[in-house]
Amino acid sequence: MFDYELMSGAMKSDTRRIALGLRQGDAAVLEALVEQYQYRLVRYLIYLLGSRGAVEDLVQEIWLRVLERGSSYDGQSRFEPWLFRIARNIAVDAVRKRRMFSFDSNDDDNVRPAAASDEPSPFTLAARTEDADRLARSLETLEPAYREALVLRFQEDLSLQEISAIVGAPVSTVASRIYKGLATLRPHFQGESA
Amino acid sequence: MNIDHHENFRHTIDESLAGGVSADREQSLREHLDTCARCQEYLIASKRVIAGLRGFSFEVDPTLNARVLSSLRRRAQPGRRRWALISVAGVVLTIGGSFVDLRFGDLIASVFDVPRLQLRQGLLAFWIVPSLAVLLLFPLLPLLSKAGSRREERTQ
Repeated sequence: MFDYELMSGAMKSDTRRIALGLRQGDAAVLEALVEQYQYRLVRYLIYLLGSRGAVEDLVQEIWLRVLERGSSYDGQSRFEPWLFRIARNIAVDAVRKRRMFSFDSNDDDNVRPAAASDEPSPFTLAARTEDADRLARSLETLEPAYREALVLRFQEDLSLQEISAIVGAPVSTVASRIYKGLATLRPHFQGESA
Repeated sequence: MNIDHHENFRHTIDESLAGGVSADREQSLREHLDTCARCQEYLIASKRVIAGLRGFSFEVDPTLNARVLSSLRRRAQPGRRRWALISVAGVVLTIGGSFVDLRFGDLIASVFDVPRLQLRQGLLAFWIVPSLAVLLLFPLLPLLSKAGSRREERTQ
């Protein structure tokens, strides 16, 4: 498999320590994980949902699930894909309950209309520069599956195989989502590079 | 060079950024980029998109961590309650066994026509001692389990 062979010795011992801590419900390990991954979970959920309305509730639910299912993490592979898979399952369930929209991308149509709302999106709120503002507006209209692939690849630095395991789609589909996501966002930056 | 040729290299740029391109094709791409301004522009625009994505920073409620940790601690409580219930059950069973022996020992011995001493030994062996063992050993089990795990961690 892709993960275990590639992990360095230090990383292996980290993942083992995490697995052991989760098996025992070790409070110190859980606290350290919350500290380390909280922001990354929030960011992932914002990209996935395109809003931050329910993000904090979902984050709480995700950590409770980590506590309950901690023994299923074996420490043989990186912790992030395991955590993000849990996060995705919970977010998808929550979205299905609210019937907001589907995460299953229709690869022929990479852009969906922006939700009608007067509130600025979390991307617009986070934009600090003119470039970022343009990017934010494009992200708002990008399908969640593409935003998800982009954040996992370029912000979490996960491999295509790891992303594939999280989203439950073939590696080729994940790669295609990344290409299409980039293709949608790139025109704003083309023809003006210094 | 024809358009298809550039399209192929642009696809290779996408593959390279996504992390799914072989070393040979990466090398071939680098050589092409040295001579092709349009593909260079494509790569620069792609990198600006990625830099833009990495530049987003979202604000997080500073109390979120504390709230999450508090709900985790609350959820972890049932484990402690379970240990407490088992300990209470051990105390009740131990006292109950002793009470039955003292209060109803003679009656039971006469009803079942067994010697009093034999009845007492039976109660001790199958009721009082196991209850006492539960009472004394169960609180130690989490500590023994932690010590075992630490030993396992050291051997790894």
